[in-house]
Amino acid sequence: METIEIDIRGQLCPATLLVALKEINARGAQLRAGAVKLRFLIDNRDATGTIPESAANMGYGVAVDRQEGWYRVEVFGRQ
Amino acid sequence: MQPSEQQNEDLLREIGDLRRKHAAAMQYVRRKIDQLLTVMGTSPLRPEELDDNTLIELDPIGIISDSFVQVLRHLKETNEQLKVAHDEITAIFDSAGMGILVVDRDLRVLASNRKIREQFTVNTPPREDVTCRELICKKGTDQDCPALKAIASGAGERCEMDLENRHFDVVATPIRGKDGGITQVVLVYMDLTDRIRAQEELRRSEERYRDLFENSTDLIQIVGGDGSIVYVNQAWRDALGYSADEIAGKSIFDIIHPDCKDCGPEFKSVVCGHKGGRFETQFITRAREPIVVEGNVSPIFDGGVFAGTRGIFRDITMRKRAENEVAAEREQLAVTLRSIGDGVITTDIHGRVVLINKVAERLTGWRQEDARGRMIHELFPLKHEKTGLDHLCPVDRVLQTGVACELDGNAVLTARDGKQHLITDSVAPILNRESAVIGSVLVFRDITERKKLEDRLIKSEKIESLGVLAGGIAHDFNNLLNSIIANVDIGLRFANPDSEVQKSLARAQKASMKAKDLTQQLLTFSKGGAPVKKLAAIADLIRDTADFGTRGTTVRCEYDLPADLWNAEVDEGQISQVIQNLVINAVEAMPQGGTIQISARNREIDRMTSPVLAEGRYVAITVHDHGQGIPRENLNRIFEPYFTTKAAGSGLGLATTYSIIKQHGGLIDVESAEGAGTKFYVYLPASLSAVTPAAPSAASVPRKETSGRILVMDDDELVRETAGVLLGMLGYEADFAADGDTALDMYRRAMQSGAPYNAVIMDLTIPGGKGGRTTIGHLLEIDPAARAIVSSGYSTDAVMANYAQYGFVGIVVKPYTIDDLGRELQRVLGGK
Repeated sequence: METIEIDIRGQLCPATLLVALKEINARGAQLRAGAVKLRFLIDNRDATGTIPESAANMGYGVAVDRQEGWYRVEVFGRQ
Repeated sequence: MQPSEQQNEDLLREIGDLRRKHAAAMQYVRRKIDQLLTVMGTSPLRPEELDDNTLIELDPIGIISDSFVQVLRHLKETNEQLKVAHDEITAIFDSAGMGILVVDRDLRVLASNRKIREQFTVNTPPREDVTCRELICKKGTDQDCPALKAIASGAGERCEMDLENRHFDVVATPIRGKDGGITQVVLVYMDLTDRIRAQEELRRSEERYRDLFENSTDLIQIVGGDGSIVYVNQAWRDALGYSADEIAGKSIFDIIHPDCKDCGPEFKSVVCGHKGGRFETQFITRAREPIVVEGNVSPIFDGGVFAGTRGIFRDITMRKRAENEVAAEREQLAVTLRSIGDGVITTDIHGRVVLINKVAERLTGWRQEDARGRMIHELFPLKHEKTGLDHLCPVDRVLQTGVACELDGNAVLTARDGKQHLITDSVAPILNRESAVIGSVLVFRDITERKKLEDRLIKSEKIESLGVLAGGIAHDFNNLLNSIIANVDIGLRFANPDSEVQKSLARAQKASMKAKDLTQQLLTFSKGGAPVKKLAAIADLIRDTADFGTRGTTVRCEYDLPADLWNAEVDEGQISQVIQNLVINAVEAMPQGGTIQISARNREIDRMTSPVLAEGRYVAITVHDHGQGIPRENLNRIFEPYFTTKAAGSGLGLATTYSIIKQHGGLIDVESAEGAGTKFYVYLPASLSAVTPAAPSAASVPRKETSGRILVMDDDELVRETAGVLLGMLGYEADFAADGDTALDMYRRAMQSGAPYNAVIMDLTIPGGKGGRTTIGHLLEIDPAARAIVSSGYSTDAVMANYAQYGFVGIVVKPYTIDDLGRELQRVLGGK
């Protein structure tokens, strides 16, 4: 499975969410097919709540990993 | 053209309007974006975050609407899944084996499954406003209601209820609404009736089995796979002395007797479940007493896995003990029967052999295993000893009459191998408790040997009586002969040489000397006393005598005489005569010549070896010829005196031999078959002493002039007269006495008169009077220096043999010649 990493550290919420949603929308079919996995690197703490919730509402699985001063949020298809 | 002011103003106003509209539009867009962002759960956009152009470029509405498309798709999928889940739950709800109700706080039934409608005969889904109390428990109270309890406690409640004659386990589980308050209760009704009935049935069944097990007299046990005891019944505990409490924690290996060899690995493998089977084993009680049990052990499997064993045993200790006692008794009986010296055969009522002991096996030649079941006649064919006709088997008579009987007379039993035994037997009936005959016991004895002994005894008695007769005749005859020889001797001295008288007397003397030999032989046979025994080397004696006996014949002797052959105390002359007689017999048996094998062996005889000889050491001599042999009918008679088959035989040779051997405490026996030669066996008591070379015999005293007074004591007048003549010729003065008393009287008077006798010649035995044997003692009392010479025809009498011991100083054997008498008197008187 291909992992696409998107570094959006330095952006604020809700821009962070919007960028993330835009990427998820663009890769929706691939994600659902299990072909790719999106890895967002973020440092906006609010986005660690909003990205997983939005992704879950859209039917995706989410995993959040806390790193040194930033977060790694992975979004992947549930199939 | 320059725009007019009006135009400028209009334009400016338009611009202003447009700006306001744009701002309003942007504001609207921002507001909608914020609304959408809020729906997405994030904060609104801050104005400074994005300017309008960037905002338009970013197109948040597009992004969010795209996201919504995905959210909606996901919702649709989720709804479909939910519907499937709902259908599934409904199916489960209806098909569950338990009745389920969902009620609200007011116990109104919200849902009910098919099972509960079946359980409580509700045909269709109930009305919405009906309560569970109306539907289910009817007369129930609030206190008993599990739903109300669950609403009150907020937790699951459980109770058992009897409804519609059935027993239910009811579980009430509260369901909370969004506000956390309890909105509904799920009631699950599990019908336990069947299970309880089954349990009750099981309990009763268990009770029945427990009753069976506990009251069983057999020992019942269930043992786990590791040997631990799981269950044992009352009989088991009683037999092994454990209480129910003590059994816990015990292992079957505590119970199996540690020394039980029979149990062994096999039994243990059964206990460990490797296989089942019937067993006899030993258990050990709590008091460490062994008990013997017999029973079955079989494995128990649980789901195909070995889980232990079940065992049912019976305490057979008492039975075993009784069996052992019976076996011991049987063994003792068998040993007794085996040890009996007589043959014993038992039969059943039909005369078929049941049992036969060792001696009977040997005598009949039938082994127990072959004999059992055969008719007694087959094993026990009897013939009359004398007639040879078939003898009626007494078993038949006893079985018919029930009365014990003995064989009349002796019978000959022919064994399986054809060997014949002379037997006596007796038969007794075997009676049962009702005194009915159920068989017979036949006891018989081989008397072949006894019969032989009896025959030998009869023979010996016969010979002895003949001996007495012959002895009597010989004694008298000897005295007569004494006178004849002495007088012929005298006559010869007075007759002219070469005259007819001298020739006649010489012939008479020759005949008399032959008669003397004969009498001597008769006297020896008829015994007259003990042989003159001294230690002799038997081997030399045999060799010398036998060589002498075969001299001048075509027969030669072959000796087998071991160097360590024992010596014997014997009368050399007599034993020499024995050997000579046997050798002469052998020579005569082989007129064509041949070899006589003479062997001797050291033999130790005990009671078992020979019933005839006393226990002790013997020199056994065998003289074996290869002549014509002795016919069977003569074998028994050869030792009888005057029994002879030879034209020139005296019939005294073997009789004398017999007598001599008997006098020596020995035994002579013969074995012969016609055409196969003859074997004589001679047993002489042995001595372990060594033989010392004999001193040279004293030289005969030269004859010289003698004188003196001699008293002659003899009951025979002829003897006295003859002695007087002889003594006169020798130069002696003789007086005579007819018996001992007269002789003593005369001797005493002669002493008193001062002219004592120089010697007394005494006859050893005087019928009806005092002979030399008794007179000598009295004589020595009168005169301890008295010189007495004993005279007798019985050269083998003990007194004659050992005359010095009896007080005599000399001996003359009748009949004697003048030389015999003169020489002895000269020796005794020392030339006086």
